[in-house]
Amino acid sequence: MQDTITTLGSVAAPVPKRAGAGLKPKHYQSIIEQQPDIGWFEVHPENYMGKGGPPLHYLERIRADYPLSLHSVGTSLGSHLPLDLGHLKRLKQLVDRFEPGLVSEHLSWSHGYEWYTHDLIPLFYTEETLRLIVEHIDQVQEYLGREILIENPSSYLLFRQNEMPEQFFYVEAAKRSGARLLLDINNVFVSCNNHGWSIADYLSAVPHELVAEIHLAGHSIQELGDQTLRIDDHGSPVCSEVWQLYQDYINTNGAAPTLIEWDTNIPEFPELYQEVRFAEAYLQTTSERYDEAVV
Amino acid sequence: MKPLSELQQIFCDALRSPSPPPQSLLDEIEDDGLRIERFNVYRNNFIVLNGDALADMYPVIKRLVGEEAFRMLATAYVREYPPMDRALLLYGERFAEFLAAMPELSGLPYLSDIARLEYAWTDAYHAEDASRLDETQLSRIPAESLENLQLRPHPSLHCISSDYPVYRIWAVNQDDSTDEVISLDEGPSQVIVIRPDREVEIREVSIGELRFLDNLSSGETIGKAYSLAAEADPIFDLNHFFSRHLFDGTFCSIN
Repeated sequence: MQDTITTLGSVAAPVPKRAGAGLKPKHYQSIIEQQPDIGWFEVHPENYMGKGGPPLHYLERIRADYPLSLHSVGTSLGSHLPLDLGHLKRLKQLVDRFEPGLVSEHLSWSHGYEWYTHDLIPLFYTEETLRLIVEHIDQVQEYLGREILIENPSSYLLFRQNEMPEQFFYVEAAKRSGARLLLDINNVFVSCNNHGWSIADYLSAVPHELVAEIHLAGHSIQELGDQTLRIDDHGSPVCSEVWQLYQDYINTNGAAPTLIEWDTNIPEFPELYQEVRFAEAYLQTTSERYDEAVV
Repeated sequence: MKPLSELQQIFCDALRSPSPPPQSLLDEIEDDGLRIERFNVYRNNFIVLNGDALADMYPVIKRLVGEEAFRMLATAYVREYPPMDRALLLYGERFAEFLAAMPELSGLPYLSDIARLEYAWTDAYHAEDASRLDETQLSRIPAESLENLQLRPHPSLHCISSDYPVYRIWAVNQDDSTDEVISLDEGPSQVIVIRPDREVEIREVSIGELRFLDNLSSGETIGKAYSLAAEADPIFDLNHFFSRHLFDGTFCSIN
């Protein structure tokens, strides 16, 4: 394989208000060879925390042609334990090297003990946990020297200590820390269904001007007696109800960078690309309508 | 109601445990009659997600023991050795020793060495990059001083020796297309795992080659590494070895 030296622009390429895709190792070759018309890519920085090797090489190749977003899963913002400076340092090295347009993390925790769950567990929503997570977001933003986005979680259970609705906690955490929002519409759908919340109430509490990115993904369904639990496994196409919610959301609020996440049962590249094209088509219709309105 | 620190700890204990979640945790969860099932989604995710990372790292072990047995082993491993790093890239570091300690697997004594080989593959994949030694670097050095110098193998190098034909076992289990049977009578083997460029290579080597590389990577001089290699393997031919491997990416610097 030929070595290429890629020079990144001196400023981070902003992530455009287009559809993007989660970048998966099995698609590296297709993307490099075909240069598909995709607005941007997103990766979990934790998958690029090796010392060297092919993943970093491919990310560099792809970053030379596309804007990038780093979507962290390992910071554990909602943990009672202090943030891990070693992890933040590795994250900052990736931010410095790849100059992503966006950096994001989840409103959840994965570090409750000396080990890591690697699954994202919800917090309980109280003034005390709000202060804790705001402090952790502040620390991350200060360390990285930039704003981050925080993502609403998907969840399967609620803690009895909750004092406020999740959407209030989510928006308040952003307002107090100066972070912006990564609105995962599939997570809104999954959590609202799992807990009997109103989707309209949830979305109307989220100020659209704070939403800098949208996530869409597929989920699965688990029947528990006469109840249905929706599991956010990112292992299938986006379902029709979530597409509808997404369309309604951008029709009302305007376009935002939109990611298709597909992390388990990962298909061949054309199937992922097709999902990205669906989102792109909705975004273009919306942008044209908004442009006309401006004219 | 528990403080966050205590809640997070009992939640983690319950994720890891095969027993139903304790009452002290259930008391913290909204009850719609399904709180155990709701908690179990997290427990299942914890086992599956980390077990999948293990399956990605150990495809040959999975093929050798079968899908179902691998899931059971992975579940037990995740419970015994939950992830200690925020990145999952190298999760499964202790799988070889875990397999070696399982009495149920004593009939498959080579499994643990195959696991060492597969771990080495992933570790080499993510190892530091290094440029290969080239002839100009070497041409500056007078021939008589060579034996007192350190020749540094690529940082991705792993040296593995086994009482079993692990290279052959690994190689024939790369896909499902073969039914080749390997006899353990084929005896001991030595393998190196190295990533000179983008591709991880697994090479079967002689005892002399293995000792030579292993000693060089622990910092011995060329002369000392050679004499240790020749002691273990009297037919080790350094010139022949260098003619094939000195500039092929096996080495990255000399000093």
